[in-house]
Amino acid sequence: MTSASTTTITAICWSCGKPAASGHFCAACGKIQPLAGDADYFAFFGLPQKLSIDAGDLEQRFHALSWKLHPDNFVRASESERELSLERSSQLNDAYRTLLDPISRVEYLLAHQGMRREGQHKQQAPPELLEEVFELNESLDELRMARAAGGDPEERARLSKTLSAAAKKFEASLAGVDAELRQLFAAWDKAIDADADETARRALMERMNAALNRRSYIRNLVAGVHGELAENC
Amino acid sequence: MSKTVGIDLGTTYSLIAYQDPATGRPRCVQGPYGTPLCPSIVSVDPDGAILVGEPARRRLLTQSSRTIYSVKRLMGRGIDDVQDELKLFPFEIAPESANVLRVRLGDRVLTPPEISAFILRELRQWAEQLFGEPVDRAVITVPAYFNDAQRQATKDAGRLAGLEVLRLVNEPTAAALAYSLHEKRSGKVAVYDFGGGTFDISILKLVSTGEGEIYQVLSTNGDTHLGGDDLDNLLLSRAREEILREHGVDLAAHPEAVQELRKSLIRAKHDLSAEDRTAVIFDLPGGGTWVREFSRAEFESWIAPIVERTIGPVKMALGDAKLAPSDIDEVVLVGGSTRVPLVRRRVEEFFGRRPHIELNPDEVVALGAAVQADILESGVRDMLLLDVTPLSLGIETMGGVVAKIIPRNSTIPASAQEMFTTGVENQTGIDIHVLQGERELAKDCRSLARFTLRVPPGPAGLARIEVKFLIDASGILQVSAKDLRAGAQHSIEVQPSYGLGDTEIERMLEESIEHAEQDFTERQLIEARNEAEITLVATQKSLARDQAQALAGDERRAIDDAVALLREAMSGRDYKLIRTRLDALNTATEHLAELQMNHALSEALEGKRLGQV
Repeated sequence: MTSASTTTITAICWSCGKPAASGHFCAACGKIQPLAGDADYFAFFGLPQKLSIDAGDLEQRFHALSWKLHPDNFVRASESERELSLERSSQLNDAYRTLLDPISRVEYLLAHQGMRREGQHKQQAPPELLEEVFELNESLDELRMARAAGGDPEERARLSKTLSAAAKKFEASLAGVDAELRQLFAAWDKAIDADADETARRALMERMNAALNRRSYIRNLVAGVHGELAENC
Repeated sequence: MSKTVGIDLGTTYSLIAYQDPATGRPRCVQGPYGTPLCPSIVSVDPDGAILVGEPARRRLLTQSSRTIYSVKRLMGRGIDDVQDELKLFPFEIAPESANVLRVRLGDRVLTPPEISAFILRELRQWAEQLFGEPVDRAVITVPAYFNDAQRQATKDAGRLAGLEVLRLVNEPTAAALAYSLHEKRSGKVAVYDFGGGTFDISILKLVSTGEGEIYQVLSTNGDTHLGGDDLDNLLLSRAREEILREHGVDLAAHPEAVQELRKSLIRAKHDLSAEDRTAVIFDLPGGGTWVREFSRAEFESWIAPIVERTIGPVKMALGDAKLAPSDIDEVVLVGGSTRVPLVRRRVEEFFGRRPHIELNPDEVVALGAAVQADILESGVRDMLLLDVTPLSLGIETMGGVVAKIIPRNSTIPASAQEMFTTGVENQTGIDIHVLQGERELAKDCRSLARFTLRVPPGPAGLARIEVKFLIDASGILQVSAKDLRAGAQHSIEVQPSYGLGDTEIERMLEESIEHAEQDFTERQLIEARNEAEITLVATQKSLARDQAQALAGDERRAIDDAVALLREAMSGRDYKLIRTRLDALNTATEHLAELQMNHALSEALEGKRLGQV
């Protein structure tokens, strides 16, 4: 599967009919080509499906492709070429936006590999944090009730303080998840380089998926606390 | 060969520019009044003729119900969106305004794109007269923060004016392009564009690559209803309050006087950009004079809250670009309102660096548009603009919540695919509601389109329809749908929630061709007669005043003769003769005007002394 980018499936060019159209442009006549059904954002930039990406290098590739694919180049071209440029340059921009951010990058990889479906992933409470989550939710409820009752400022200040401290703790565990993800990225890239088998890669993807679910759970929690604290001021 | 031009369709003024082949630099077309600024004002004559620009501006005072300014504020907006504007602007909204606003001007009812098309047509004529050849393709600029509906309305206006709109370009981006040509720049640039009706902030990254310069917009933010108009309206409401309090005169019953007062206050605002003090002398309807001295400090204390409203969007844009004010290498000021010293000070204070003001802030956007027009026309490119969509695109989901599918500040073109299916057995349609905005709930976002996907009846969840949302390089949304089971792509008709449908535009185009074919000389005649009429009224007024006694006998006779000759010419149809005789009258009244001016000055001084008592 990793060798997919090297075993090029030769496509037929819509314009000249030669079997030379597997890239952005036909190698024979130079005409812009339609997108293949299943887009691979990594391949779009000529990159392997590795998770450590140098932002500077990605930007250079993005700019180089923008020069070639942007609709500005096709103002005087045929209507069908204008449409292809619009399609392909929009995919370029979508791909760049997705791969630039490490989290959306890994989410994309997992979705592309069928491991993670948009809107279907669960937010998992990390087991080691269950107790803290429980306490935090209690404090949040107390604060909401105190505010609803117009409660005394001292009590509210005390609750705010507890909550801030708890939020700090969760932010620290968020940093922990991010560190874990970085390690998994490195492990994944190694597996790609070593052409590791399906089982090994699946295992890594499972772990990344779990880490992402924990991460989004904690993030929501922290955002909720900050929202509540902001209202309390 | 036809030419491609760049047009800045502004709230207060509009301009048209082109790439000058002789110098390789963009230039604005000078209009017939010796300035490239065409007031964005349209007036409908009782006989149906349309006046645009300077002649229409003169009618603001005499025929305010037939004349409209700041129509850009209405572009792409629904009746509910403009309630605030209606309190401040003398727009008369016609009752038949369900999907599209319609404005009544005299006996005609027009949509904002039609009114804007008159302005575009006027500018197009300026350029065609200069080039001696037709102009049919243009790049038009829009505020970066314009939403899809506002952009679509602008594009419709271009089409109605007989222009193929090659691209809509964001105003701050166009300005960055013009500025960078002026002096090569690199790094992070903030463009602060405070115009007549809109405020935009754009953060750009300028990168040199092997192929040329890339202008990549990182983020943009703004307020499409914040501009110099707001400063003017504030001054106007304060002045009206004072007049009511001090003189017991309510100007509500005198719309023409309100326009006159507004004009005087705008002049005072301009004065205060250069002077520390200025005075407004205003003749009240029914006699009496309101004399008011303004200091710059007082003016600034009034407008400070409005200027401060620009800072929120600036912070948002920086935050989205993940930059601090100190990361910005260059700050560029665009738009007439950046002439206000307080605005310059506030921007300098915020970024901690002196902003660029080398280029004329009124012209820089049109110049940038001309550069982009040339790039698109000639195909020779050594620069590339990568702009962004200012607002997130979303679709309504369960419970009226919006699911974002293309985040704000995504580089355009941008796209998103969504899969839709049926929820109940034998469901034959899936309703889709597309929105733009940052809020969580659909009711707080701008509705762009509602449509129903038709599906063949079957078990729930069997249908699989992929809908593709694509924002093009002009920031305009296109929607297409594909039935994945059938495999055949059927493009669906997407009806905008607001705005003009295709058939309506066709009809307007046909109508406008009929109207536009009005004789050129007819228009010239109307304009010349109007100007002559204004001058005659002013001359009669002057002659009736005391200072006219100081004229020598032969001077007085020369004026009377010139008046008689002009009147005679006005009864005919030769507009050139009217113009010649109008010039002759102006020459004859030069001394009178001078006497008048001296008297006004001493009167103003007197007013000042009175004020000091």
